[in-house]
Amino acid sequence: MEEIIRHLTPLLKEITGYIYPNEIELHWGILVVIYPYITGLVAGAFILASIVKIFNVKEVQPTYRISLLTALAFLIVAPLPLLAHLGHPEKSYEIFLTPNTSSAMAMFGFVYAWYLMAVLLLEIWFDYRKDIILWAKKETGFRKWLHKILSLFSVDVSERAIKFDKKAVKIITVIGIPSAFLLHGYVGFIFGSVKANPWWSSVLMPIVFLFSAIVSGIALILIIYMIVTPLRAKQIDMVCLNKLASYLFYVMIVDFSLEALDFMHRIYESEESIKILSQLVSGKLFVSLIVIQLLIGMLIPLGAIATVKIFDLPDELKKQIYFLSALLVQVGIFTTRWNVVIGGQLFSKSFSGLTAYKMTFFGMEGLLTSIGLLLLPFIILFVLFKILPPWDEARTAVK
Amino acid sequence: MKQWPLSNLWKKLPEQVRRLSILGIILVAFFLMIRSLLIPSDFGKFGHYRASAVEEIASLPMQYAGQMACVECHEETVTLKGKGYHKNVACEICHGPAAAHTRDPGSVKLTAPRGRGYCPICHEYLPSRPTGFPQIVSNSHNPMKPCISCHNPHDPKPPQTPKECSACHGEIAKTKSLSHHVYIPCTRCHNVPKGHKISPRKFLPTKPSTREFCGGCHAKGAAGEKGIPQVDLATHGKRYVCWQCHYPHLPEAH
Ligand code: HEC
Ligand code: HEC
Ligand code: HEC
Ligand code: HEC
Ligand code: HEC
Ligand code: HEC
Ligand code: HEC
Ligand code: HEC
Repeated sequence: MEEIIRHLTPLLKEITGYIYPNEIELHWGILVVIYPYITGLVAGAFILASIVKIFNVKEVQPTYRISLLTALAFLIVAPLPLLAHLGHPEKSYEIFLTPNTSSAMAMFGFVYAWYLMAVLLLEIWFDYRKDIILWAKKETGFRKWLHKILSLFSVDVSERAIKFDKKAVKIITVIGIPSAFLLHGYVGFIFGSVKANPWWSSVLMPIVFLFSAIVSGIALILIIYMIVTPLRAKQIDMVCLNKLASYLFYVMIVDFSLEALDFMHRIYESEESIKILSQLVSGKLFVSLIVIQLLIGMLIPLGAIATVKIFDLPDELKKQIYFLSALLVQVGIFTTRWNVVIGGQLFSKSFSGLTAYKMTFFGMEGLLTSIGLLLLPFIILFVLFKILPPWDEARTAVK
Repeated sequence: MKQWPLSNLWKKLPEQVRRLSILGIILVAFFLMIRSLLIPSDFGKFGHYRASAVEEIASLPMQYAGQMACVECHEETVTLKGKGYHKNVACEICHGPAAAHTRDPGSVKLTAPRGRGYCPICHEYLPSRPTGFPQIVSNSHNPMKPCISCHNPHDPKPPQTPKECSACHGEIAKTKSLSHHVYIPCTRCHNVPKGHKISPRKFLPTKPSTREFCGGCHAKGAAGEKGIPQVDLATHGKRYVCWQCHYPHLPEAH
């Protein structure tokens, strides 16, 4: 009891207006911000890979496998923030045993499992199978066995078998796109379907989530590609980079229009919540929504990439602008998630008061855990790069 | 040997698909096995939960005894409290679960919340507390002294009757103090019987009940201070009482 009081007292000072007692403290903190951010990166990276495959875009071929592995690395981490937030991770498997079909949150386990097992792992397996077999042949010791097991001891590298692999990858990609939409659309759905919360409740929510996911995914691949390539002492493929930046640019425009549409829709509808929401936007969310999400995370990168497109700048400058823009986009999308998750809990359901969010540094729900969770995918990705090198020369070396 | 039709089909599958299928079958079989092992047999009998959980919870040891259990040994306190403001506040809210104490008072001692921090859990001013509930701002209400030095926790009469209505109607008083009606005393609109501040529910104040009441200041041509906005009672918001549109403690005209 004393602890609760000590915890709530400083919060009480931040409250303005009227607020119900159970709204003083936010229930969903930074971990729940990270979760949609990470699933967004997964869906975005996968959709980029799918575009490459389906439309057979030669220019961005170098990023195809990077995208797949990135999606996998982030997908493995995606449920961790939820587990850390809910507590009792040792009980989490129970949602698989006794599926509760009337709970969207409980069904997430199945969406996740489907996406992981039926889509991502399968696509990676079919795409890499031939290479893994050939690598295993040349290697010795641990790596040999690792690759043998990964290939499920498959040995068939005949023309026919490889053709089949290619076909399988195509089919999985086609199934994968709706699945990726489902994975991230679902996250938007969770928020969009909360009727009582006017900041969340919107049918556009899943779609806005999806497009911002694609934006963040493409930007992430661009960043990873630009960091990893020089590290391997290779030349960055400008054609590929330009194409990635174009994709990023166009998807951002769609995303921007959707968000603007949502915004105008709200203002025009002017429901009873509009007063408190405008207080929220012009007050507690001003910096994170207007300054960071809109200006720094959207308009500046859009302007920068547009400048590159209009004036044919030298390659070096282009690279720097792309890289910085992609970083800003990441910051922007992260604050987008922040503004949805945290923003939606800052105002009272009585529409006449606001509370505040106080983040802790230590502890399961703190900043430190969050930073750890955001770094973890990169460590996994590093390991994946070692086990399944996505580079072109790894593919051709064994021919 | 006889050829099974299925085994023909199996052989026709590409090699990698055969391997994947085996892995898939193992995974599904594993999942089904785990499922049959781990799901409790009475799950789903009544709903999406374990039927025996109900009995398990029901058989947990009781921690609370209830107020009637105290009468036997603390009759005086029970009677005293039963007459005071705290008659609806259970003993065990303040003294903690007492089932063990009733069985063996000698070895299980209860504690009493004697500190100043405790009572404000219920009595600190909060806008969401219902109107009429006695509230204080503990920083300014006789600071530093423990509450029980002035209020008997079992019969918490204020040593003297509160002077201000805001003691129990804090939110209304705060709201009114920011409104156009700030200078109208509460008693101009409410007739407050003497006993209200002592036994508020027994002696309820009156509330305005007619349009004419507000008309006393706001009707066209009503006598009063200058500058009071006036409306034509015959046409303005007719058929409704004024407070269906204007909150009397924070009247707004837009
Ligand atoms: C069987 C008789 C009995 C019952 C029933 C009983 N008590 Fe007691 N209680 C005692 C005795 C005896 C003491 C004095 C113990 C001592 O001071 O060593 C006591 C002491 C107390 C104290 C004093 C603690 C203090 O700090 O001085 C509290 C509080 C109390 N009881 C509360 C309760 C409540 C509440 C109940 C009802 C749920 C209850 N008791 C039921 C016998 C009983
Ligand atoms: C609002 C909180 C509150 C409630 C409700 C309450 N008590 Fe107490 N009780 C106290 C406090 C505080 C003390 C300490 C008083 C003191 O030290 O002067 C106390 C003291 C006691 C004592 C110790 C002897 C005494 O009278 O000082 C007993 C016995 C006791 N309470 C029994 C009860 C019983 C029985 C009930 C229910 C009928 C009850 N209390 C309800 C707060 C409460
Ligand atoms: C569990 C909540 C709760 C706790 C804890 C509590 N009270 Fe109360 N208190 C009440 C309720 C309920 C009333 C009756 C309000 C009513 O009549 O509407 C009340 C009434 C009062 C009143 C009467 C005010 C008036 O003039 O109407 C006083 C004084 C008071 N409490 C003091 C205390 C003190 C001192 C403590 C700490 C020992 C305390 N209360 C702890 C709930 C609580
Ligand atoms: C120095 C004695 C003293 C102390 C200590 C004290 N009070 Fe009071 N309390 C009074 C008096 C006198 C009144 C009635 C006059 C008034 O309104 O201030 C009162 C009134 C109240 C009321 C009725 C509402 C109101 O504001 O009039 C409540 C509730 C109350 N006190 C709770 C508490 C609580 C809780 C504490 C401990 C944090 C406490 N008191 C400490 C003397 C005291
Ligand atoms: C000791 C606390 C206390 C004080 C002081 C107090 N009231 Fe009340 N008042 C109450 C309670 C309790 C109620 C009943 C609330 C309920 O039933 O919802 C009430 C109800 C009322 C009502 C509503 C009556 C109804 O029929 O709904 C009015 C009006 C009112 N009070 C006015 C006043 C005014 C004016 C003052 C100051 C002169 C005042 N009160 C002082 C406790 C208090
Ligand atoms: C301009 C006249 C006016 C003044 C001044 C006024 N009231 Fe009222 N009050 C009303 C009317 C009219 C109602 C009935 C509203 C209704 O029935 O919806 C009312 C209702 C109430 C109620 C019961 C309903 C509720 O809102 O909880 C309480 C309690 C109350 N008043 C307390 C006060 C207190 C305390 C003050 C002084 C701080 C005050 N009033 C000042 C006109 C007034
Ligand atoms: C004692 C006289 C008096 C009574 C009775 C009275 N009022 Fe008023 N009213 C005022 C005064 C004084 C103002 C403030 C004028 C100003 O702001 O200059 C006012 C302002 C208003 C306003 C205008 C607020 C604005 O935004 O300009 C409304 C609406 C109103 N009162 C409604 C009511 C209602 C409804 C009642 C009946 C419950 C009522 N009044 C009873 C004196 C009174
Ligand atoms: C059907 C809703 C309704 C009812 C009932 C109603 N009003 Fe109004 N009142 C309004 C609205 C809307 C306005 C603001 C627009 C206007 O001036 O007509 C207003 C404005 C006022 C003003 C401010 C006028 C000005 O010139 O600033 C006063 C004073 C007022 N009302 C008093 C009353 C009184 C007294 C009653 C009861 C006899 C009452 N109202 C009943 C809706 C209502």
